[in-house]
Amino acid sequence: MLNINNLHVEVGGTAIIKGLTLAVPAGEVHAIMGPNGAGKSTLSYALTGRDGYAVVGGTATLNGEDLLELAPEERAAKGLFLSFQYPLEIPGVPTLTFLRTALNAQRKARGEGEVSVPDFMKLSRDVAKKLGVTPDMMKRPLNVGFSGGEKKRMEIYQMALLDPRFMILDETDSGLDIDALKVVSEGVNALRGPDKGMLVITHYQRLLDHIKPDRVHVLAGGRIVDSGGPELALALEADGYDRYKDAA
Amino acid sequence: MALAELKLSSGETALLEAFPPTEAGQAARAQITELGLPTRRVETFKWTDVRAALSEGKPQADGSAGLIPDCLQDALVLDFAPDGFGLEGEKDQGLIIETEDSLPIEGAGPLASLAAGFAPRAVVLRVTASQSRPVVLRRHPGAPMRVRVELEAGTRLNLVDTALATAGLSTGLLEIEVGTDAELVRYSLQDGKLGAIDLTQAIVTVAEKGRYHAISLMFGGKLARAETYVALAGAGASCLIHGAYLLSGNAHADMTTKVVHASPHGQTRELFKGAVQDKARGVFQGKILVERAAQQTDARQNHHALMLSEGAEIDAKPELEIYADDVQCAHGNTIGALDDQALFYMRQRGIPEAQAKALLVEAFVTDVFDAIDHEGVRAWFSGLARTWLEGRAS
Repeated sequence: MLNINNLHVEVGGTAIIKGLTLAVPAGEVHAIMGPNGAGKSTLSYALTGRDGYAVVGGTATLNGEDLLELAPEERAAKGLFLSFQYPLEIPGVPTLTFLRTALNAQRKARGEGEVSVPDFMKLSRDVAKKLGVTPDMMKRPLNVGFSGGEKKRMEIYQMALLDPRFMILDETDSGLDIDALKVVSEGVNALRGPDKGMLVITHYQRLLDHIKPDRVHVLAGGRIVDSGGPELALALEADGYDRYKDAA
Repeated sequence: MALAELKLSSGETALLEAFPPTEAGQAARAQITELGLPTRRVETFKWTDVRAALSEGKPQADGSAGLIPDCLQDALVLDFAPDGFGLEGEKDQGLIIETEDSLPIEGAGPLASLAAGFAPRAVVLRVTASQSRPVVLRRHPGAPMRVRVELEAGTRLNLVDTALATAGLSTGLLEIEVGTDAELVRYSLQDGKLGAIDLTQAIVTVAEKGRYHAISLMFGGKLARAETYVALAGAGASCLIHGAYLLSGNAHADMTTKVVHASPHGQTRELFKGAVQDKARGVFQGKILVERAAQQTDARQNHHALMLSEGAEIDAKPELEIYADDVQCAHGNTIGALDDQALFYMRQRGIPEAQAKALLVEAFVTDVFDAIDHEGVRAWFSGLARTWLEGRAS
């Protein structure tokens, strides 16, 4: 599914990711943990193609297709989704208009027909119910005036509607209280599947109690410095990241 | 002391020949001979150089007046052609239409003087009872227009004025008197398709509790300037002036307004929004003057603009001048670029860059149209804005 090989990324001329190699097979959820400044968010932006995150070496493919040559919207149409650590407010653009535009743009790029307004309305309502997204939230401009928790729920709502193949969750637990964490995690778990993959980026172990990963990787100093099963996350929670200081 | 005689440009000299032999035509000729056309040296024209735009005299007119949109099929249409004016559609009771000589207009500035000078006649609309049908003032390429609108107490009129020539000089002068508790709603559309020069001036007086609402959409031209002067003369008089400009290529559009609060309890609401790309230039000058007598004035002015490309230019001059001590006045002015982070967010969701930009600009600009009560006109203006945005996107 997602294959990253010896990836190097610079931001403003400074090397942040320095030879990162990682493979997430279809059907698996991998967690990336690491201290602040390890390059976790840089990795998610480089994979999704944000300006200013310059890939200076290595490869990244999704189902064998080169991601790095594609524009951000083309990567999205290939099924790559990023749940943002800090979702943006888009004033003046109603949430439903935004989502229907995004869904139809992706479908168009894949050569599929547009979803009709009634079909979209039904789909959006069905998904909203499951995630506790209220009709009021869907009518408002996207994320405008939303609390931190509402914005994260809206990210997962978008993810469920767009039905991507590979999902990157960047610090999805930050800003969530324990009840919201449960709702969001259930929403995420419902999107797991044999032909889908997920990369869960988190600083803390607690999210992984709810979204159980198949593998856990430690990112420090721009490289994967350790990998293991779910027990690695527990060990990190107990011991911290100090022992990777030198590895970086 | 003898003043050095002004040396007229060849364009100005050529223009002198173009005025009709009316009193106002003579006055305009005399004014140009004495002062020339306004240039950058005139403070209120520092970003809009009329002399340079008319450097070859009166340009050849081209294009069409445009079709009346479906939403205005019930309107009474006044067509202004270079050689006269015509009427189309039904006229309701309570609207009297006359023509009169175009008389010189004192102290109203160079645009008003030019427009009065070019107009062979002035058309007078006297409103003695509220009108359900809108009145459309449609300017044909190269046509001058001079219209006086008088609303008697308690009456109401919707006025739509359009200037859509692709080339040529079109001038407009609107003198509007809004009577006690009367309301004039004006919708203006200007699109000079990069080639036309459009100079339009509105001079508005609002009596006690009267209302002047004006919402305009400009796409600019070789040079387009819409100047509005509003005197809130009576107590409790109010005005709402909204404008949007969407400019590309070498288009130039100038929205200049001056509102004078002369009586207490007046209210002004101004909202201007623009998006400018390529080498286009948008100009906003807005002055609100609150005289000493105008206590408890409530005036707000906002101008916000987006630069969509490097070579574009936006010039803004907001001004508040307040002599009363018990007033609420505020103004805001911002010029910025589209938010890169918002753009990336939208693209990550699969929306192509051009479409994402169009959505953001549309969201930014269209709240100017929220003040349009006429549903059809609101849809018409929003649709024109969207077409412009989609043109950018393709």
